Amino acid sequence: MKTRPMLTLDDCKKISAAAEAEAKKNNWSVCIAILDDGGHLLHLARMDGASPANARIAIAKGRTAAESRRSTQVWEDRIKAGRNSMLGMPGITPVQGGLPIVVDNVCVGGIGASGVQSHEDEQIVAAGIKALG
Amino acid sequence: MLGSNSFAGSLVALTLVSSTAFAQVPPDPNNPNENVPEKATYMPYGETIKLDQAKKAADAALADATKRGWPMCIAVVTPTGDLVYFVKMDDCQYASIAIAQHKAKAAATFRRPTVVFERLLGKGPFFSYLTTLDGVIASRGGNPIVVNGKIIGAIGVSGGTGSQDDTVSQAGVAAIK
Repeated sequence: MKTRPMLTLDDCKKISAAAEAEAKKNNWSVCIAILDDGGHLLHLARMDGASPANARIAIAKGRTAAESRRSTQVWEDRIKAGRNSMLGMPGITPVQGGLPIVVDNVCVGGIGASGVQSHEDEQIVAAGIKALG
Repeated sequence: MLGSNSFAGSLVALTLVSSTAFAQVPPDPNNPNENVPEKATYMPYGETIKLDQAKKAADAALADATKRGWPMCIAVVTPTGDLVYFVKMDDCQYASIAIAQHKAKAAATFRRPTVVFERLLGKGPFFSYLTTLDGVIASRGGNPIVVNGKIIGAIGVSGGTGSQDDTVSQAGVAAIK
């Protein structure tokens, strides 16, 4: 039998707090969503000023990263390079700002942010993952 | 060809049945829904809940659930039912991720605790229409968050029995004054 790491609520709180701190430091209002490797929502925080759409998008980016086990930017870049058919991939939100959470070479979930420019969204989620150590 | 003819035939039959039925359903004097109340009773919406308040409510609910050893999902939404804060406790069942959000949204958008729907449905067939209303969830655990007599949001909890969910939900509500 194989055993694998799994995100706990404590892990999620740590990741989200660090991501929120990164956003606050820059005066950005965003929503941050953390999901497990099956794309199930574990934690979400929508900062004051972030829209309901930001919540939906943050979840979609985090889910894309978790389930495809790669950064949402990878998807965006493929499409930008001309692979338009990738727009039809089921359940994929190909917009930068979602990263997989990898522990011991296992993808344990994903985190997505939405509310500012896409590269800034990614800066926020990267800061969150960094807090996991 | 045969298929489309029989389809047209059944449409005609349906129309006949429904128009006759329409004329033939008299009001039932025992139906409490036939009563027209003179006044509208409702709680007004207030300022939208802030993330800090949402966290405070969810953390109080989380502390209560942890103390009791109940694994749950807790969702806090705005008066419009949009998600502000969400946590899934370790070992909580997956179905509760959606149910907690649904309860919170229903409590906010219908401006009442979801136990109201559950209890009315339990009263009998005159209230079965409730399940046809958009966005209803007839299970306790969703409660409005009220400040100064105004609804600023709602909290929904799922993961245990309905009564356990509602206990934790109310612990969250109590943290916001």
